[in-house]
Amino acid sequence: MGLLTNLRDSISRVTDGLFAADDPKRIGIYGPPNAGKTTLANRIARDWTGDAVGPESHIPHETRRARRKEGVEIERNGRTVTIDIVDTPGVTTKVDYKEFLDHDMEKDDAVRRSREATEGVAEAMHWLREDVDGVIYVLDSTTDPFTQVNTMLIGIIESQDLPALILANKTDLPGSDVQQIANAFPQHETIPLSALEGDNMDEVYTKIAEYFG
Amino acid sequence: MPHQCTSCGRTFPDGSKEMLSGCPDCGGNKFQFKPAGATEDPAVDDDAGSPSAAADPSPSTSEDGPASTSDERATDSTPDERAADSTPDERAADQTPSESADATHSDDAASADPSPETDGTEQIADRSDEDTAQASARSEVVSPDELDRASREVEGAETSSPADAEPQPGIDALRDELNDQFESIRIVSPGQYELNLMELYDRQEYIISLQEDGRYVIEMPDAWGIQDE
Repeated sequence: MGLLTNLRDSISRVTDGLFAADDPKRIGIYGPPNAGKTTLANRIARDWTGDAVGPESHIPHETRRARRKEGVEIERNGRTVTIDIVDTPGVTTKVDYKEFLDHDMEKDDAVRRSREATEGVAEAMHWLREDVDGVIYVLDSTTDPFTQVNTMLIGIIESQDLPALILANKTDLPGSDVQQIANAFPQHETIPLSALEGDNMDEVYTKIAEYFG
Repeated sequence: MPHQCTSCGRTFPDGSKEMLSGCPDCGGNKFQFKPAGATEDPAVDDDAGSPSAAADPSPSTSEDGPASTSDERATDSTPDERAADSTPDERAADQTPSESADATHSDDAASADPSPETDGTEQIADRSDEDTAQASARSEVVSPDELDRASREVEGAETSSPADAEPQPGIDALRDELNDQFESIRIVSPGQYELNLMELYDRQEYIISLQEDGRYVIEMPDAWGIQDE
């Protein structure tokens, strides 16, 4: 009997290992500033762990350090997929403290935020190079996706052969144009959602399980 | 006397091939070129002439070394070359080894030179000889294409310096482009940054702290304990 129990335990460990319970994939949430990355990360974390990842803000570069939420277990179709979520700072080629002055910020604070945001971009690029197994690329569907940053990052992700899911966020806003994003990156599947409202999250979780499970 | 070694002061006639492998006296490889026309410039003559005139009273002792070497050089060269170069060689031997004294041949050197009137005629013949020697020397080495290219470059340099307006932005743009390409983070001013994403992505070390003076703190790969690269 004891032998059978041991056998069953070891089989269970093996199957757990197969389903990535022991070695969760680390999924980086990438995208330009203010695309809704942290809102999505919080939505995923709250839905499956009850915790949040970090503060959300309409001011760009709120997330200036990569934040990790480990061991997020997502159940899909009777199967559990465990991932580590890394919410990364928004990637951009220019950071200017002046854009923060519009948000009622003192100059000193704006300059510091700008410096931290720049460090954050460096950190995000570093994570992309070293530490992620897959990417959720979040875009604001109310803005033009044809930017240097998007093209470059998607190019890097493709060159790394990382599995990538493109999310067209902010579908709750009137100017949302999901098709424009789908047209910009036709080689990838584009999933519409509103991370803020929780719209279409079921499809997002299904795709996460499919891509990163 | 167009070529002068900048370390020992030895002079060479235009077209001389000796200096091509360095100064035979001191081994120096830096020469200055003074065309025949420039030596006639009174301002240059005055400046260069006065110290050499002071040095002139004791030429015999310092003259021995260079004079003997220039004799050697004369024997080394082919008869044709010597015919073309004989007058400058002689003059170099006659006068002090410093080229500045040669440059003052018209006025100051007249007192030092024992035969001023022959010197004057030699100068004219000398210059015409130099021109042909120069022409022949260049025609042997430099192809017409290279000459054209060189003259175009000179023209380009001449036109670019007075007319700063047009070519300057191109250089600035190029510099900016190079900055963009090679600097991962460029501090435009405090609080304003430009980032080169590819450069940031490509670098193995990880920037953890920026400072406004352009310095930044990085975490070296060794510190991670990762040995995969």
